[in-house]
Amino acid sequence: MSDGAELVRGVGLVKRFGGIVANDAVDLVVAEGDLVGLIGPNGSGKTTLINVLTGHLEPDGGEVRVRGRRVSGRPPHVYAGMGVARTFQLTQLFGRMTVLENMLVPGLTRPHSRWDEVARRARGYLEFLNLAHLEQLQARNLSGGQQKLLELGRCLMLEPAVLFLDEPFAGVHPRLREELVARIRELHRGGRTFVVVDHDMESILRISRRLVVMARGSKIADGDPAAVRADQTVLAAYAGL
Amino acid sequence: MRGLPVYVLLVVAALALVGADRLNAYWMHVAIIGMYYGILAASWSLLAGYVGLFSLSHTAFASIGGYTSALLVKWLGIPVLLGMGAGIVMCGVLGGAIGWVCLRMSGPYLAIFTLAFSEIVRITISTEDDVTAGMAGLHTAPLFQSATRLPYFYAAFALLAASLLLMGLLVRSRWGLFLRAIREDEQAASASGVAVARFRILAFAIASAFAGLAGGFYAHYIGIMTPGVGDLDEMAKLVVMTVIGGMERLPTAVGGAFVVEALLEVLRSYGQWRLPLFGVLLLLTMRFARNGLLTPLWLQLVRLGDTRVGPLAAARDVPQKDSAA
Repeated sequence: MSDGAELVRGVGLVKRFGGIVANDAVDLVVAEGDLVGLIGPNGSGKTTLINVLTGHLEPDGGEVRVRGRRVSGRPPHVYAGMGVARTFQLTQLFGRMTVLENMLVPGLTRPHSRWDEVARRARGYLEFLNLAHLEQLQARNLSGGQQKLLELGRCLMLEPAVLFLDEPFAGVHPRLREELVARIRELHRGGRTFVVVDHDMESILRISRRLVVMARGSKIADGDPAAVRADQTVLAAYAGL
Repeated sequence: MRGLPVYVLLVVAALALVGADRLNAYWMHVAIIGMYYGILAASWSLLAGYVGLFSLSHTAFASIGGYTSALLVKWLGIPVLLGMGAGIVMCGVLGGAIGWVCLRMSGPYLAIFTLAFSEIVRITISTEDDVTAGMAGLHTAPLFQSATRLPYFYAAFALLAASLLLMGLLVRSRWGLFLRAIREDEQAASASGVAVARFRILAFAIASAFAGLAGGFYAHYIGIMTPGVGDLDEMAKLVVMTVIGGMERLPTAVGGAFVVEALLEVLRSYGQWRLPLFGVLLLLTMRFARNGLLTPLWLQLVRLGDTRVGPLAAARDVPQKDSAA
């Protein structure tokens, strides 16, 4: 964990679906400046954890705190308003709205925002993401990789304190994946905090400053990527032992 | 000339106003009823087309607005306009409440819920003879003491124009953007900071209030309120009008109302056969032109007025700024 101020803290998070325990008393702290890679085998509870930490699922046990304030049980827009942004495992854009409109929505939800100022900021981020030339295109007409970039851009419009990216590299063309990695790195250097979930270990290990490993609903490792990779428990989990 | 669609609408409006006194009583009545349906179609398009909330209780709200106004005028002796205002408020509040109850519903669940609500309203009005005069119909005070329909024509025109202006301002505002975002993906809208529950309730309240306005006007124009104003046949007719015109734009929804209302009169000699004809037209629209039959014409108008050249301008088939006019 970085030395920055604590942004999001999940304490003893439990989430069950019927008889399945997706998250079993998980503790996770995300601090300012972190770039956390969240990995684990399929069904280990990574996406559930993100859903709980961003307000899309209410925990059955434990609590979520954002900047020290208890927010579990509140709707996701409250989290967004407090600077917690997220992308989805399967990209969720406003398909029949233009690329620019997709960017305007989160920008205009911010208090005291002005349309012209938000549009200027949106165009700036679209430039940064190499999507500026597509601003009038309907979002559903973008390629898979461009949709991932737009979803990232939409998060940035919230001027978030922390971004949870759920499988940002999945199904993305290698060239656009490189672009995505480069943008995440650049944004992190600019002071953004990230939690990135993905199966693409190479990309995750290239960008992570901290690695968290989940297995069977529990957190089994959390620390420096090199140390975590050598951890026998982690190796066993990945080998299915 | 980016405002071309607006200018065209203004010319049509001016022609309608100038030519109104040349219409005979029959066609003036058709035009007035067309405008009544125009307000209903536009407000239902706000709910179903812009927010994606497929409510089947819209004509029930028109009925509630009409009965509220008629009864308050009858019981309290208040001016008709005040009664209509009360009908709008009643529908807005009730619509907001229905929106709140339906917060977690969408698609067929919402349709069935609102259908049930609509039937409850109709049956209550039908059976409460002492209050509503039931199936015999409740006689209402007229909005104007006039021998001709012309004042009603101008009043309906003003109400339709004002409704379109207000709804147009709404859909062009940031709230309109949020409503469309909710239609596209509620979860993503929420993650983007949109208070989804609040806006869904608001959409129900606003659309229902406009339905109440239409119903109030209808009550004091037609002179008698019956449970049939809010029944399922009327709702089906409204859906046909809005879908055939194009439910994702206010002008096309209103256009659909006028086209269907006019065709119903033109084809009157075919008797009941004209209704299956509209059923077939609806089927064909859903199969071959889901955005409505008038939408391509409207988009053509928008493109003609859009001086920006380039493939992307042409590819954009839902232009935000132009769609609301």
